Amino acid sequence: MKENKKYLKIFLYTLLAIVLLILPEIISNSYYQLLINQTLINAIVVMGLNYITGMTGQMNMGTGGIYALGAYGMALLTTKTGLSPWLGLLLAIVLGLLIGRGLGYPSLRISGIYLALTTIAFAEVVRLLLTNWSDFTGGAIGVQGIPKFSIFGYTLDTDQKYYYMLLVLTAILAITAKRIISSKWGRVFQSIKDNPDAAEACGVNIAQIKILAFTLAAVYGCIGGALYSCLMGYISSNTFNQDLSINYLIMMMLGGIGSVAGNILGAGLVTILPEMLKVLENYYWLIFSIIMLIFAIFMPYGLVSVPGKIMRYYKSKKKRW
Amino acid sequence: MKGVANVETVLKIDHLTKKFSGLVAVNDLSIEMRKHTIHALIGPNGSGKSTTVNLVTGFLKTSEGTVKYHGEEIQDRPIHEISRKGISRTFQNLKLFKSMTVLENLMVGGHSKTEQGILNFLVNPVKARQEEKMLKEKAEDILNTLGMYELRNENIGNIAYGRQKVTELGRALMCDPKLLFLDEPAAGLNPTERVEFVSILLKVFESGIDLFLIEHNMDVVMNISNMITVINFGTKIAEGTPKEVQNDTQVISAYLGDKYRK
Amino acid sequence: MASQIIQLIINGVAMGFIYALVSMEYTIIYNSTGLLNFSHDKFITLGAYIFAGTFVLGIGVNPIVGVLATIITMFLFGVIVAVGIFNPLRNMPSRLFAIMGTIALGRIISEAIRLIYGATAKTVPGFITGVYRIGSIVISKATLVIIGVSILVVVILQIYMMKTKAGKAMRCVNQNKTAATLMGINVSRSIMITIAISAVICTIIGVLVVPLYSINVSMSNTIGLKGYAAGIIGGFGYLPGAIIGGLLIGVIENLSTVVIAPVYKDCVSYIIMIIVILIQPRGLRALIRRKK
Repeated sequence: MKENKKYLKIFLYTLLAIVLLILPEIISNSYYQLLINQTLINAIVVMGLNYITGMTGQMNMGTGGIYALGAYGMALLTTKTGLSPWLGLLLAIVLGLLIGRGLGYPSLRISGIYLALTTIAFAEVVRLLLTNWSDFTGGAIGVQGIPKFSIFGYTLDTDQKYYYMLLVLTAILAITAKRIISSKWGRVFQSIKDNPDAAEACGVNIAQIKILAFTLAAVYGCIGGALYSCLMGYISSNTFNQDLSINYLIMMMLGGIGSVAGNILGAGLVTILPEMLKVLENYYWLIFSIIMLIFAIFMPYGLVSVPGKIMRYYKSKKKRW
Repeated sequence: MKGVANVETVLKIDHLTKKFSGLVAVNDLSIEMRKHTIHALIGPNGSGKSTTVNLVTGFLKTSEGTVKYHGEEIQDRPIHEISRKGISRTFQNLKLFKSMTVLENLMVGGHSKTEQGILNFLVNPVKARQEEKMLKEKAEDILNTLGMYELRNENIGNIAYGRQKVTELGRALMCDPKLLFLDEPAAGLNPTERVEFVSILLKVFESGIDLFLIEHNMDVVMNISNMITVINFGTKIAEGTPKEVQNDTQVISAYLGDKYRK
Repeated sequence: MASQIIQLIINGVAMGFIYALVSMEYTIIYNSTGLLNFSHDKFITLGAYIFAGTFVLGIGVNPIVGVLATIITMFLFGVIVAVGIFNPLRNMPSRLFAIMGTIALGRIISEAIRLIYGATAKTVPGFITGVYRIGSIVISKATLVIIGVSILVVVILQIYMMKTKAGKAMRCVNQNKTAATLMGINVSRSIMITIAISAVICTIIGVLVVPLYSINVSMSNTIGLKGYAAGIIGGFGYLPGAIIGGLLIGVIENLSTVVIAPVYKDCVSYIIMIIVILIQPRGLRALIRRKK
């Protein structure tokens, strides 16, 4: 039984890998390709958010601000200095480390609603600065002409080529996330969510762990932002509003908090599904929001918790008979 | 010479006072705890026992006074620092990690004993796996001695209250404490569970961990402790061996009321 | 210069009252349920749309009748939301889910608004227009109406909470839900009324800002956030503080335009809020308590 399960798992993973590899060949529509690239980027950001909000339970409603700084870091560095996007990516990581510390410190003194509001205010301040400091950031017009990545002189000039790069990066970050979550780090993150007093009594330095979680979230968020910059080639501050931060939260909740697979699933659902269900047209977002509300009330642990629930239901039924 | 810690003294609480906006919860309390003792702190409800433990373990800031652990002042230090010095504790109303299994609860307890930092973790999966394995084995060992090995993969919410208490004790043991504070360990346990818990406590004590316990249940206190401090309204009213305390008139009146004073 | 500053202060006070109302509206819900209503700005928008879109521009009633009709509609809306959404959310295992629930509710409201009223912005022509001049100071009629109505709302709410039985029950629920239940207070009903009152205050805010902004889906995003800033500065969950905090923010952000470029006006409130959270999360409440 156990062996069978293992083989099934390997088979499914291989199948998934093959599908992901030939995906660009299947989809000829360039718009869908763009959406899929966007999904991968969103998945990275959501995996980051999962560390701090999903695992550690610290409400971060300012993901949009983190993402924006990563995106502008990349855009301004590459367009103003003409340096390679790879350096932009490095800058994004450095920015992430700094933002993580910056946002982490407030979380040592405050939590819950205060932290949620602080992060919202942070994202708003970032957005307002990007919009209004137009000499440097281009204001509402934004930044244009962000270059594409190139590997050993081979430029990833189409979305299809860029897809493979994103796929590799997402895979690396997802494996890292999976490793962290299922290790001692994941456990202490969760212990802070469950009972900070007890965690501290166990000798866990909560301050250090919270900053770590925030830093991971910010690094993932900034990487996502930088990759987005290069995907679009053009960014403007209007994109990075409060709705964006909330969208990331929705992706996380819908897929399932605390689960990497859930994060990716959630990113896909929120990014691609609206386009797939164009039939519903105007009503899509309304229906989606209602489903979201039902999820929040009845299935707070997201889609990944559904199979487990069904299994438990059947088991309890079997027992009764 | 005053102030220099006796070699045998583990914990020295000196003139400890805690005021909550006007209310004096602990008043000028001095306790000396020696090595190899089970020291009990008893007193009627609301007499400041839990406050005392919270002050010593860093959960509350002291208003006045000092707490010395092996001669080193530890009052007002961060909780995790105190814990890392070898002082562990359990809580009056269980504080467990509800979303985790029994084993995972214990493994969080051992986190502060692991060495690998996050950067090393990211680049060195081999060492990460070794560390995880060591942590797991240690937790399983402790669960084994506590008689809870079979329940290791149960979610903490699905096991009986008594077992949850044992889990919390196990988690405290994961930090390799030298001194263990137990806030009402027998509360809420039925007589069988209580006997079992006492035997576990004695086993823990024999392994070289000093115990400091707050307890309401007189059977437990009188049977296992070598030294008892009695407080009422935050002030110490008696101290001594179980026998001495049992015959102290002040203690009797604090527990039974002045009417019963001989 | 002096008259310019007086002008800024008067406008600041008017905006401050709006923020104060916003902050009161979510504070009463927060106090009685422990939930922060992240959809409160959408409540305000909905109030404005029902008033302008349905009653004044749609049916074409007199604005005063329109206001009353909107208040009644929103009261009922508040009751429905309280029973159907806030009640289950209040008992969720984690705060996170409750926050997500109210966010989803906000999304639903704004999508519904977009579907019902369309995406184009609306204005109500001739609703509270005109100005008064005192020397070189120009005060718009809307400013005076905002100040007057806000004071009225504050006073009525105060009388309601202090004098009426339902208001007293509401205060009991704020302090201790279990004890309130034991004393025979119907907690769910009290919460329902609280949320309905909050919805009514949102409606009033929505109507008051109609002369200031064009009516669109995102019209109250900023005042919603500023309301949070006001609440934080005044001390979260503390009603008198909410009013003082609102006024402070309104005046400070208006006066800040003397020193810095007006485009950064909005940043000022948020930065003050972050600073207050970091230095003294209890805000002005800490000062008041200490004096006692």
